[in-house]
Amino acid sequence: MGQGLPLAIVAALLATLAVTGARRAAWIALAALVLVAGVLEFPDDGHYPAGLLLRLAALWGATLIVLPTGLFDFAALRRDLSPRVIAETLSEHPVVAASALAGLLLGAVPLALPIETSVAPVRAAGIALLVIGLPPLLTSGYVEATGRAAVVALTGALLLRASVLGALDPLAAVAIAAGLAAILLISSSVAGQITLSEEE
Amino acid sequence: MPAIDTTHLIATLRAIGPTLIALISLVAVPLARHPRFGVATRSNDRAERVVISLLFASGILAFLAGSDYRSSALIGGIPIDPSEPGRLLVALGAPTFALIVVVGGGRRVGTMGQIALFGLAAIDLALAVPDGLAPVAILIFGSIGLSAFAAGSRGDAARARAVFRDLRAAAIALPLLVTAELLRSAIPLSATDANYATPTSLGAGAALALAAVLMSSTGVFPFHHRLVRIFETLPIVGSLLIGVWLPTALSLIVMGEISSLAAGVPEQIGGAVVPALLIAGAVAIAFGGASALLHDDIGEVVGFLAVGNAGWLALAAAALLINPDNDAARLLPVPGALSLSLFGLWLIGIRKQYEVTAISDLGGWARRTPVYGVILIAGIIAMLALPPGEIIAAKINVLTAGGNPIIAIVAALGQLGLVASAVRILLVGFTVPSRPVRLAALRKLPEVLVIAILFGAITIAGAAAGWLSIASRGAGPLPSAPPLSSPTAPAPAPNETASPDGSGAAGSPTP
Repeated sequence: MGQGLPLAIVAALLATLAVTGARRAAWIALAALVLVAGVLEFPDDGHYPAGLLLRLAALWGATLIVLPTGLFDFAALRRDLSPRVIAETLSEHPVVAASALAGLLLGAVPLALPIETSVAPVRAAGIALLVIGLPPLLTSGYVEATGRAAVVALTGALLLRASVLGALDPLAAVAIAAGLAAILLISSSVAGQITLSEEE
Repeated sequence: MPAIDTTHLIATLRAIGPTLIALISLVAVPLARHPRFGVATRSNDRAERVVISLLFASGILAFLAGSDYRSSALIGGIPIDPSEPGRLLVALGAPTFALIVVVGGGRRVGTMGQIALFGLAAIDLALAVPDGLAPVAILIFGSIGLSAFAAGSRGDAARARAVFRDLRAAAIALPLLVTAELLRSAIPLSATDANYATPTSLGAGAALALAAVLMSSTGVFPFHHRLVRIFETLPIVGSLLIGVWLPTALSLIVMGEISSLAAGVPEQIGGAVVPALLIAGAVAIAFGGASALLHDDIGEVVGFLAVGNAGWLALAAAALLINPDNDAARLLPVPGALSLSLFGLWLIGIRKQYEVTAISDLGGWARRTPVYGVILIAGIIAMLALPPGEIIAAKINVLTAGGNPIIAIVAALGQLGLVASAVRILLVGFTVPSRPVRLAALRKLPEVLVIAILFGAITIAGAAAGWLSIASRGAGPLPSAPPLSSPTAPAPAPNETASPDGSGAAGSPTP
């Protein structure tokens, strides 16, 4: 299992923060989640991990474009990312935190299905991200938060897929990287347009 | 310097022709608008000419790909080989959208042409990739990108919300498809070990996930709201691509997958999925028909016609689950997209000429603009698939495949409602002209454009109604679209976990 399980736990924590955190913490968590999930999804098999680099470039690039102003204000970042604030955020959203934990356990414990012939930590992270991301994706009325939830849920689906079928083929990797970046860019643009029209 | 293999180069260009042309438009349209190539006031005309030329080039390249012309490419180890449905959609879609773009005209004509080019390129590329997640990802994310591109950035809340709905629907579709892919890939393993779930249950689970994808992406009841809002708010080119053409391509992939799933599992896997698809399909057609009759906004009416068309796709998927060899079911998606494109052509023309959206304000429209009357009549003929031929036979086949007379009667009544709603708009066109129609300053269409519209509308109606054989060379049914996953066991994962019984290498099938 090696580093897989700690990475899966970190991925679940970051995903929880990405869908529940305040704006600044959520974006930072999403950017970190992309890296952790990418490391889990693209195993180091001696090849140049082009798919991982592509995913990181696309999603970090999109995140940089849509970042709210003042995101890198050091004092604010320190405050938002302090363990106390993170713990408070998690305690304010117990259902999401419990879903993350349940997802990790559900993914890690074999249930005698053929798809469980897979990499357990990757599967656990995938299921955790799916159960964290899908509810806000289906129900949230906040466009930007829905965009982040969509990225979390899709990343979970891709992790679950990778745990059974391995890494994506190159064309799918390009399409998925572009698509995830498009979700972030478009949700931010849509949120901006709705705000603009409401102000008018 | 290595010699260039010309045959290979031409084959590659043909295989990815529509994609290359869409990319060329990114340079060509801004260049055409540049003041260096003419006066600034004519920049829209130049952009229009460029996108029309590119759309026709895209259609011709799609037409040439495959068949007698060798056309294949290798991108990142993935073979790109244009499939019959992809070629058909692009070869018919390119001239259809060229007509819609010309009739729409306006300030964003270049952008609309580019949206059409990229939408058709996405369809062509997706249906040319042999299998895997890439085809579906291209269609789903292409749909999200195009909806945002079509909506523009003018701060219209209704448009922005329509894009948001599309984004949400697309983001839900991909996890469902991954679920289907995983269940599908586990079937060979379950067949070799009785401790696992049975092939039938896994097949049924995969079919359920695929049916959910089909229903949500095509806009079948109860997922119709997104489709209606798209037609109400977004520009017609974007509405048709996002609401009809891309879902049609996706439905071809899903239908191919459903067909191969049903054929690959010895027992009937329909279970609860077939009744769900039948009910959703029949209700969508009936709901679309009733709503189209009751609504007054022409955008919403065309949206409800699209909901009715989506209902036929659900019925076709159910027919394929019952009988995987049912070729009639595969004949329905393309004519449906074509007939809705005729209504889209009519809608954009009427919006441009009269700048009203209520049917009650459109009295006498057909008397003032008979060319649009011809388009609507062509749309009605396409929808009815007259004179009766293989399309209407396919619809009857799909209606009766479920074996439930109530479903068939509800769907047939719904179809009558859809046709009646279109006939109602036509009849309104022959009443006494309303004030907005009388006072409208009509845009004079050049004669060549009128001839092109009439010829195009009749040709599209002919293809949709089955006058022209829409299968390649008129021989046999369409080959299926690329499957979602190859029907083989998944490759062993790099670091397999211990098996449930602790013996290690779980899932290694016993020979």
